[in-house]
Amino acid sequence: MSTYVYGIASADRTLPEPIEGIGDPPSQVRTVRSGDLVALCSDAPAQPKAKRRDLLAHQHVVITAGKDGPVLPLRFGGIAPDDAAVADILAEHHDRYLEQLKALDGKDEFNVKVHHDEESVLHLVVTADPDLMALHAAQRAAGGGTHEEKIAFGERVARAVAERERTDAALVEETLAPYAAAVVRGPQNTGHLANLSFLVERERREEFLEAVRALRQEHEHLREQVTGPLPPYSFAGAG
Amino acid sequence: MTVVPAQTAPAASGGGSSGLYDVLELVLDRGLVIDAFVRVSLVGIEILKIDVRVVVASVDTYLRFAEACNRLDLESGPHKNPGLPDLVGDITESGARAKTKGALGGAAQTISDAFHQARDEAVEEKTSSGTRGRGSSRREEKE
Repeated sequence: MSTYVYGIASADRTLPEPIEGIGDPPSQVRTVRSGDLVALCSDAPAQPKAKRRDLLAHQHVVITAGKDGPVLPLRFGGIAPDDAAVADILAEHHDRYLEQLKALDGKDEFNVKVHHDEESVLHLVVTADPDLMALHAAQRAAGGGTHEEKIAFGERVARAVAERERTDAALVEETLAPYAAAVVRGPQNTGHLANLSFLVERERREEFLEAVRALRQEHEHLREQVTGPLPPYSFAGAG
Repeated sequence: MTVVPAQTAPAASGGGSSGLYDVLELVLDRGLVIDAFVRVSLVGIEILKIDVRVVVASVDTYLRFAEACNRLDLESGPHKNPGLPDLVGDITESGARAKTKGALGGAAQTISDAFHQARDEAVEEKTSSGTRGRGSSRREEKE
């Protein structure tokens, strides 16, 4: 029976409650110990597939186990041949995992995605550029302009919006980074101008969230979406 | 990773569906990777992706921006009734603040809700052929 692994925690931790893992019916989460570490594990399904339910079950285990102390979250889908192989890995990387757990203690990940409110940002970029203002006025006066004029105008506006996305991404990072212990930039393929993960100390959580709120109030063309507190996926490192 | 268009997103997730996507993105793409472990194949995995405003440099985008700009009245500002916030003043501000706080504080709640919801849906899949839009779930089942 192969072993599915959810995360790694310090061995002095007890699991808060029976936790349901992946699989259908759900497997029971148990621990595999080596030295001062435990791995949160369960039996792996015979034919494991990345189902949405299992992805969420993985997340649920890491969050539930992380309620009372730090958990080093594994990326979804890690399967060891058996419990002994899990213990071997814990032993092999023992000190590094302990160090990482110590570094993550009392901290959570907050993922911040930002996009522009379209109407507000169009207003901003047009009014910021006298040329665009003049073009805008002329086109409105002409009832919208010709097809070619619209494309030429729209292209200039699109360029200005893209530039604004870059500067606003930097603004968001610079504004929030002082409230976080670390920042990781996520992939930029999701239609957002910024996709940032912040590692936030629990004592500073309110400060951090207040900074997000302030950002929202000061820059009404920015739309922030904050997800968290989350297990520190983006700060768990490789290895 | 396969990205499916927004219309296959289950309506059941409601406002939380984008939050669900954000969590899965982290679970799938981040987190500790142990090289010695076999990884569950992610081939064919369906990620629900709500992405209605991808800005690409295309003629369509240019036209859309031009049309949107033409509708803009630059004199009155981006909002239709700019006088309102000033009139309501502090009351609106503290009200909005409380609302924002609730939204942020509720994020973790949303995640565990999504988990339970997914569990419920899985149960439903067994008992009925599914009346709601669960395209991606069904496609996963086929694999």
